[in-house]
Amino acid sequence: MSSGDSLRESAVFNLSDAVTMIVDDSPFSLTLTSNALSGFGIRPAFAVGTGAEAKRILQDKTIDLLIVDTDMPDIDGYELVRWLRRSNPNPNAFTPVIMTASHIRRGRVAEARDCGANFVVTKPFSPTLLLERILWVARDRRPFLEVGDYLGPDRRFRTEDYDGVERRADMIRKAAVGTESAA
Amino acid sequence: MTVITHVQRKSRLAEMVDKPGGVSVGAALAQAKANLAPLEAQAKTIIADSIAALLAEPAPGMIEPMRLDMAYAASGQIIDAASPFAMDDLCTAAKGLCDLLDAAPRQGGFDWRIATVHAQAMKVLLSLPPQEAAARAAILANLQEVLRRKLPAAGQPQA
Repeated sequence: MSSGDSLRESAVFNLSDAVTMIVDDSPFSLTLTSNALSGFGIRPAFAVGTGAEAKRILQDKTIDLLIVDTDMPDIDGYELVRWLRRSNPNPNAFTPVIMTASHIRRGRVAEARDCGANFVVTKPFSPTLLLERILWVARDRRPFLEVGDYLGPDRRFRTEDYDGVERRADMIRKAAVGTESAA
Repeated sequence: MTVITHVQRKSRLAEMVDKPGGVSVGAALAQAKANLAPLEAQAKTIIADSIAALLAEPAPGMIEPMRLDMAYAASGQIIDAASPFAMDDLCTAAKGLCDLLDAAPRQGGFDWRIATVHAQAMKVLLSLPPQEAAARAAILANLQEVLRRKLPAAGQPQA
């Protein structure tokens, strides 16, 4: 799922009712993303230029999809998503989040990984790649985990069986439940 | 380390994506490209302005961290404006400059000729017709060489 080639042209999706928020300090980038989303049949309900404004709206309105830029002058994307994930019982705390970045500074790679976004997309991204990521997060079934300072979707993407001794509590529980059901 | 697994709630997005109606991927992408097409001229203007900003002399007394941040922002703007229109060579050049500026020492010592070379290369890339693939490849190869020589490995001082 890296090149944007996995979309089948005839596949149908319906996100016409999705309440979407785009956060980007560049007005031109906001327009670009809004226009692309409109083409996908997604009407962006909120297009805002600052993290502070986004935070205010996220406390008040339920959002189905958040697309946020990483680099912003006041509250940047990382900080906004970290706050959002910790904002429970805010209904938006588990909202799917796609972060977009023209470039990620070397010193902030860990932040990008650990802020709690469902996906970080680095540019260049085409409409194809953006749509692919949106459909991917819409079908993202990873549980939310709280580990130390991290709160967000499980960062483990691998689904194949692990060859060593199983130490993951959730997998041990799942195996135990499976054994009980079989008995 | 304690791991708390939050009960998986299906997002509204997950509930609605497979509902009847909607649009095919092919139609959605065609419409998105049609919606973006009128913005291409504006994107090129933004790219040209950002290149001009990179080539401009810094204001007198501008401190190095501010100059680095401004150049980094201009380079980022080029990526933002170029990426939806498949100007991938410009994105590659701008990304290389972002990497170099990000790795530059904040206290001074960055060789600003590197930024000038990148900006001039991007100016040429912007003006080249699409069929000039060989010229584009040659420019990018030269910039890649600059990157290889000047970008320090993680934790190393800049050459």
